[in-house]
Amino acid sequence: MDWPIGLVVLLALIFAGVPIAFALSAVGLVGVISIIGLDPALAMFGQIYFDSGRSYTLSVVPLFLLMGNFIVQSGIASELYDAANAWLRHRKGGLAMATIVACAGFASVCGSSLATTATMGRISLPAMRRYGYSDRLAAASVAAGGTLGILIPPSVILVIYGILTQQDIGKLFLAGLLPGLIGVIFYIVAVRLSLWLHPEDLGRPEKLPLRDRLRATRGVSGALVLFVFVLGGIYIGFFTATEAAGMGAGGAILITALRGKLGLRNTLETLFDTAKTTAVMFFILFGALYFLNYVNLSGLTTDLRSWIDAIDAGPTGVILMLIVLFLILGCLLESLSMILLTVPVLFPIVSGLGFDPIWFGIFVVVATELSYITPPIGMNVFVMRIVAPEIPLERVFAGVLPFVFVDILRLLLLIAVPWLVLVIPNSM
Amino acid sequence: MSQGTTGVGHRASALRRTFRLITAVLTGVLLLALTGVTLVDVVGRYFFSRPLSGASEMTELLVMAVVFTGLPAICLDDGHITVDLFTAKLKGTAETVQVMLARLVVVVMLGLISWQLWEHGARIGAWGETTVYLRFPLAPVARAASVLCALSAAIVLMLAVLRLPKGKSGDI
Amino acid sequence: SAQTVLRVSNWLPPSHPIVKDIVLPWAAAVEEATDGRVTVQMLDAPLGPPPAHFDLAATGAADVTFGVNGYTPGRFSLNQIAELPFLTPSSEALSVAYWRVYEKMLAEKDEYKGVKVLAVWGHGPGMLFTTGAEVSPLSKLDGLKVRVAGKLTSMLAEQMKMVSVQAPSPKTYEVLSGGVADAIYFPYESVPFFKLDSLLTKALRAEGGLYNVSFFMVMNQAKFDGLSDEDKAAIDGVSGEALVRIAGKAWDAADATGHDILESTVAFHDASEAEMEELVAMSQPLYDAVAADYAAKGVDFDAALEMLKAETAKVLQE
Ligand code: NA
Ligand code: NA
Repeated sequence: MDWPIGLVVLLALIFAGVPIAFALSAVGLVGVISIIGLDPALAMFGQIYFDSGRSYTLSVVPLFLLMGNFIVQSGIASELYDAANAWLRHRKGGLAMATIVACAGFASVCGSSLATTATMGRISLPAMRRYGYSDRLAAASVAAGGTLGILIPPSVILVIYGILTQQDIGKLFLAGLLPGLIGVIFYIVAVRLSLWLHPEDLGRPEKLPLRDRLRATRGVSGALVLFVFVLGGIYIGFFTATEAAGMGAGGAILITALRGKLGLRNTLETLFDTAKTTAVMFFILFGALYFLNYVNLSGLTTDLRSWIDAIDAGPTGVILMLIVLFLILGCLLESLSMILLTVPVLFPIVSGLGFDPIWFGIFVVVATELSYITPPIGMNVFVMRIVAPEIPLERVFAGVLPFVFVDILRLLLLIAVPWLVLVIPNSM
Repeated sequence: MSQGTTGVGHRASALRRTFRLITAVLTGVLLLALTGVTLVDVVGRYFFSRPLSGASEMTELLVMAVVFTGLPAICLDDGHITVDLFTAKLKGTAETVQVMLARLVVVVMLGLISWQLWEHGARIGAWGETTVYLRFPLAPVARAASVLCALSAAIVLMLAVLRLPKGKSGDI
Repeated sequence: SAQTVLRVSNWLPPSHPIVKDIVLPWAAAVEEATDGRVTVQMLDAPLGPPPAHFDLAATGAADVTFGVNGYTPGRFSLNQIAELPFLTPSSEALSVAYWRVYEKMLAEKDEYKGVKVLAVWGHGPGMLFTTGAEVSPLSKLDGLKVRVAGKLTSMLAEQMKMVSVQAPSPKTYEVLSGGVADAIYFPYESVPFFKLDSLLTKALRAEGGLYNVSFFMVMNQAKFDGLSDEDKAAIDGVSGEALVRIAGKAWDAADATGHDILESTVAFHDASEAEMEELVAMSQPLYDAVAADYAAKGVDFDAALEMLKAETAKVLQE
């Protein structure tokens, strides 16, 4: 089965309402059978579902999720948003903007976009809805803000890029800082853009007196303690970014207990919720990995490479083509698959054209951030779906469009001004 | 057709609730253990120079256990993520057919996954694959995952055959 | 006859010596030896995580794979003879000797069921690097947190009174830069490869290395059996000891490059005679453990070890 047919069948199954996890594995299976035969294709199921199920790297997902859920259960989350709301309620889209900044803050302790989104979604979605934000804007802000998890250091994806291309990981981390900050600013612009498109997404309450604002601020201490503990623990080397997830979850449970909120029923709900989200996400990842093998065996990247070579567009032309390519691939693949499949193929072409390898790493990661929020396979949007099952998927996808738009602008900006990526790593 | 209006629907609701409760307790214990592993490892490493031996392996296995233990309850609630842009508008027979077809794809895929996890278990069991540090045997892990997938496939098949309404993930 | 394409699933970056200097030259040699009847295709991404790569070849998902024996514990134990301390003067000498022992004494135990073994080899002498902690006298290592490379280094760490930290190699940067580990067992090549050269400043070297890691490269058996006799012979001609030699030389060259990079930034300490004696005593439990595994599989460990040492010496004298 040629890959274009595979992609069409995949879309057909997804739109026919087949769960995404199984649409991916079904198309992958048929495709792989057509290339390597029945028995090896079937055996690949055992291999992928067993090996990927035991992934240490992915273990941060349930643990950060658990932390986020206990932050909600403890009441810290709503107090945090009470405070943010008290200070920002009269600013248009203030809470959504605060959510973006909070996502960036969380991204600085967490190397994974999925975990960032899952945690922040659980914390901020209910709060934003409570203060009158529409589902569309609230969910889209978190889904987009969460993508920063892989750009702002630490980042699992940058480590993998560094090893694949033999670049200095420390430099890559530094290079991600400024584009991450630009991402925050652009997303804040996107919030305004969304509200301009859909003014009905938000009420506009009165400004609160200072006394009330200060009173609401007292609640942030719990969140601050946990954040400093997790961030500090990573930066003094007390634990790794992966272990930080477990330490953070433990800390959140402790705070919940200290606040007397660790009731049996609520705790059971929180745990069950974490388990469900984990399982649903992992099954999509398994399907995505099987589908990746089909794409890989079908020679899609080889075709892409020969197209790029055939068009012979010059350095800027090639980079612009790559944006289109990443946008298309990003619609269908999840992030790790994207990196594994594209970087080994594209890196030699791009470095041959004279682009800086550190710069290209950041370009690839920003392009990969897009894959988390573009339909139909947008993992961050799926996470929002699990956090708030009653919000239709297409509504979230519609909501993220302004964010996708500013992400493309950010890519163009990084192409026009590579200095933004390179200034920090080159000055160290 | 709404949940609870028929006898079958009523029993389905009760079954779903029971399943959620059992899964909540099982996965809850696993998640707390998962947190405990990191805590014991980090605290042991710094304060007693005794990290938890094989902590990363325990983490891997516990995550896998959470994923597969959670599966049957999710399947019972039709809890996997779907795109319902077009299907949400279907009514009556069209809806029944669509739900049935989607479930059948899930049954077939879960059946294949279960079968192959069992085969994989047999393969790695034949030469006794273990984890690196704890030497924990892995074949039974693959078989357990296989059984849970089979159970999930059976659940979805039951939903399809009895034409039960789509589940809503609800409270425990 | 019809054209055969061998698909290789590769889990390493294209710049890694195993890919660049072992697998790709082998692929070119196969194409040449078969007059282009058999070609080799490197897939753009791996079909599974590194530990899956033996099974991927055994089940036929890929036609050719390479991997690390230690990633699938329980499946292989006879390979451990090539991973013991003090046996690696160079990767080439150890690897060729290990291949000869494999052919004569280990192959018959069928640990590589379902595949045709193209080569087995080990990397260069492994040593202990630290992020600044002194390595001599050995008592200074007491309580140091060290990232280990598998079962044998984990045992050695315990004997050397260190605390072992487990992390896959791509995580070593994070683990060492953050201070979660203060030391790591690695050969010269891997330190710059995993971008650790800015983090490590001291190292302990012992004659013949403190440890090793053994690798395999295999081909799906049915795929091999389906080839014409002529092509089988052609592939055999460029595999086996010929390929093992290429692999060993490639690793020695990569180690030399790694050594040049590290020379100016790492203070190497060669174990003194007294320290060597201590290390040998500490390594005895490792030798005993491997001997027990050999006994369990019915292979004479002492004879195998003697042969390994004799063949290593022979290769060194060439
Ligand atoms: Na991050
Ligand atoms: Na996408």
